[in-house]
Amino acid sequence: MLVIGEKINASNKSVGEAISNKNQEFLENLTREQDAAGADFIDVNAGVGHGTWENPAMAMEWLVDIVQSVTEKPLAIDSDTPSIIEAGLRKYRGDNVMINSVNAEPDRLEPVGRLAAERRASLVALVMGEGGIPPTVDERLDAAESIMVHLTRLGMQEEQIFFDPLVLPVSVDSNQGFVTLKTIEGIKSRYPSAKTVVGLSNISYGLPNRGLVNRAFLVMAASAGLDAAILNPLDARMMSFIRVADMLTGNDPSCKGFIRAHRKGLLVE
Amino acid sequence: MGEDIIAAMKENVIQGRKTEEDEGIDEELTGPGVLELTKEALDKGISPQVIITEGLTAGMQVVGEKFSTKEYFIPDMLASAEAVGAAMDVLKPHLEASNVETKGKFAIATVQGDIHDIGKNIVSILLKGAGYEVHDLGIDVPTEKIVEFVREEKPQYLGLSALLTTTMVVMGNVIKALEESGLRDKVKVLIGGAAVSDEYASEIGADAYCVDGFDAVKVLDAYQ
Repeated sequence: MLVIGEKINASNKSVGEAISNKNQEFLENLTREQDAAGADFIDVNAGVGHGTWENPAMAMEWLVDIVQSVTEKPLAIDSDTPSIIEAGLRKYRGDNVMINSVNAEPDRLEPVGRLAAERRASLVALVMGEGGIPPTVDERLDAAESIMVHLTRLGMQEEQIFFDPLVLPVSVDSNQGFVTLKTIEGIKSRYPSAKTVVGLSNISYGLPNRGLVNRAFLVMAASAGLDAAILNPLDARMMSFIRVADMLTGNDPSCKGFIRAHRKGLLVE
Repeated sequence: MGEDIIAAMKENVIQGRKTEEDEGIDEELTGPGVLELTKEALDKGISPQVIITEGLTAGMQVVGEKFSTKEYFIPDMLASAEAVGAAMDVLKPHLEASNVETKGKFAIATVQGDIHDIGKNIVSILLKGAGYEVHDLGIDVPTEKIVEFVREEKPQYLGLSALLTTTMVVMGNVIKALEESGLRDKVKVLIGGAAVSDEYASEIGADAYCVDGFDAVKVLDAYQ
């Protein structure tokens, strides 16, 4: 399971302030901590321009520079605005890069798809269109189909596309855990080379014991074929469950990764 | 006898049991749910007003208290609100026949550019349960469409929802557009959503900020 570290996001209050105040050290530390905790990608979201940053594209450039100066891990350039994504990509020196994200809306899919094709970037694609998150599996698979058609026409390969099957709170509609799992299965059976990625924590919104729900859902999603998760890599319990999920889905030969984590004292019950 | 039915109704609202088939918070509880009790009460000649105020609303008030102290969670609150909503549907023709007015017309929309609907839907369910006539205009609703609705349908209250820091500014645009159309003093504007606050409400000239659906009920009831 690929872990995309979510901490460098302007919508987290302390990170938003650090970006506004150009608190470089805070952001460098947060990057190093996620790297050390086992993140495979570092997500970078500079927000929409607050405080000292009148221009959000410049905030993204500044932030990309800081993050890449302290980690060798690839970045996920996180914005829904094509010009901000472009600014982040321009500044980033690495070969391997992810763009987070687009959806089925042609106005965003077209320019961002071109950027991804040109840069050979991985691209997170939310399986929704203009009307919001579809409540059913079929509608989400329809959105995936139109995204796939559009992106392959722009020259992207199936394996560059990370579909986000989307997660709605189970507290509001008790079928939604199942809808996400079935959407993952549907995507993996239709497009075997394409990848899937989710942000898990929305599943437990409005419930008690959220961490417990999130960890169980991660394991179920791994079983349905999930390839990557956007989460907090500093959450040692969640990271333990990721190692378990890798092992139980046959992705940890001779259980080496799991036992190594045990020897390092990284596993938390 | 009538009092027993009303007391049972209030208790079943608190338990979140719409029908006799439903499990309550207390899993031992059996017998008729809110829907059956509402029909029984009407058959016994109990007035719709008594059913609403002493049964349904009294029950929802307890649910609101339990939600605010974190004893209840969103699924508990939604089960109770659905039970009340179903009872209100049964009561509607009786209310119309006896010329009882609703507490007022409330329109709600997630503003243009924002597609989040969970918060908006919860507010709609709770206000419907509290006796308001709710018109849900949907998500990503253009400002002109909201203004047109206020002009044509004359709701006394307008709820605006936005979750994102990028879309909360649109709520201010809606208020400006209402001013320019000479409609601002015709409607109370309430705002809600993760990114907004009391300060933001006064900054853009909204009448109130509501932290959640129960708060919206409280704020609207205070206007009565």
